[in-house]
Amino acid sequence: MSLLFRSRQQGASQVNISKLQRFVMFWVHNVQQALASLGELLRYPLASMMTMAVLGLSLTLPATLYVVVKNTESLGADWQNAAEITLFLRKDLTQQEVDTVHKRLSLSSAIESVRWIDKQQALSEFKEQSGFGDALAALQQNPLPDVLIVTPVAAQRSAAAARQLLSQLQQEREVAEARLDLDWLTRLEAILAVIRHGLSALALLLCVAVVLIVGNTIRLNINSKRDEIMVMKLVGATDAYIQRPFLYTGIWYGLVGGVIAWVATALIIWWISGTVAHVSELYQSQFRIEGLNFSEMMVLWLVAIGLGLLGSYLAVRKHVRTIEMT
Amino acid sequence: MIKFEQVSKTYPGGFQALNNVSFHLEPGEMAFLTGHSGAGKSTLLKLISILERPSAGRVLINGHDLKRISARQVPYVRRDIGMIFQDHRLLMDKTVLDNVALPLLIEGYSMAEAKKRVHAALEKVGLLDKVRHYPYMLSGGEQQRVGIARAVVNKPPLLLADEPTGNLDPKLSMDIIRLFEEFNRVGVSVLIATHDLGLIARLRYRTLTLRDGRMINDGLQEN
Repeated sequence: MSLLFRSRQQGASQVNISKLQRFVMFWVHNVQQALASLGELLRYPLASMMTMAVLGLSLTLPATLYVVVKNTESLGADWQNAAEITLFLRKDLTQQEVDTVHKRLSLSSAIESVRWIDKQQALSEFKEQSGFGDALAALQQNPLPDVLIVTPVAAQRSAAAARQLLSQLQQEREVAEARLDLDWLTRLEAILAVIRHGLSALALLLCVAVVLIVGNTIRLNINSKRDEIMVMKLVGATDAYIQRPFLYTGIWYGLVGGVIAWVATALIIWWISGTVAHVSELYQSQFRIEGLNFSEMMVLWLVAIGLGLLGSYLAVRKHVRTIEMT
Repeated sequence: MIKFEQVSKTYPGGFQALNNVSFHLEPGEMAFLTGHSGAGKSTLLKLISILERPSAGRVLINGHDLKRISARQVPYVRRDIGMIFQDHRLLMDKTVLDNVALPLLIEGYSMAEAKKRVHAALEKVGLLDKVRHYPYMLSGGEQQRVGIARAVVNKPPLLLADEPTGNLDPKLSMDIIRLFEEFNRVGVSVLIATHDLGLIARLRYRTLTLRDGRMINDGLQEN
């Protein structure tokens, strides 16, 4: 590969390396350089761990928020699936008419089940629980209507289908009012969208911070090896060759930082899952918070590695070239 | 081998280090470059190894105009030039073996192949027993010889030395020059910058003399 001396390529005593050997050695050197930069990191474990921890913990915050949003969404989806339509029946119906409408609706193909809340029973429960017992006793007649709670079949549970079913049920002669409480669900979704947006902004901000931190660390690293880089340039090392160990350092930062992010996220999820379990117990729900799954962990890892590499790439691009012999 | 055609070098700030310098070093020739400190010796060597670019004129190596060498190609040019420095520029945290093997590893040799050549180069400079040592364990003369081994390990056709004997006593200096003579005998072109006139006087080689950036004498030093 001599530019100035053609003859150097020939002759057994001169530089004589086959293409295949160069190719193989390129990868062997890559592995060697990767291991060498790992060794370098292990020589200053505390400093290396600090950079890795910064990277990992910076990613922990968005990862944790992501888990929270993901779980809230699945919770919302659960509730949405259980969409129930409440039918308040007209008060002038006889008991027989109530039974009839109950049976008729039960036979509808769009409806899975219908639950009847007897107005007498509801009143006595209300008396017990509300503490208005005496006031209610003064009433001459039961102010509460009979109520049917309709659960649509699975196929009819989406917001749009449930709304359609609602308007159908409103047409029924016996129904005074039908209510499908989707408002709070829409609101929850809007709030989740806000959180998701905020999360993206925060994640972006933290990623930039990680790139800058890694870049700065690598820059200091390059400066401390100024002499070595000069010598390598003197004996004919290309910039790519000189840059490679620093790029591998960035990759190692990302590899270990990603694992730190996993562990920290898992710890935080474990920490809050206790309280979440308590809350869901109060709501008599089987809800369990779900951590990162395998592919999400891999994405987190790749992001960490990518950020480490990007940070070091920006640093070497800027600083290795500027080091010149004096 | 090395040809300067009316080369001038002015540094940013206006200091003119070289002024209209022309000379031609033949292939296989050995020559000294001398002059006071600041006369432009180092600048001249830097122009050959493309550590600096000339402000005017042409520098050619083996007929190739260095102006045509792009920044990306510079490393490949440096692989053809063995460079030796007064402060030898060894990596203090690496063994002699690693130091000398550096140019070979950069070129893509395997460690086993590199080791063979490193041993051959160290044998030539008489330091084969110091392979596992670190540079700080060696004397000044030995460190300089390690630097020479590193410069010749990939058998470059051209050797440049900037004050290679600067810190050494006369006997050690002569040993170093004898080493250069050995390489010159097998066809390597050698250019040695030094202000050690006593050393030059004892040898009868072509001597290029610089004063304030001008070539004032190009020929055998008469004494």
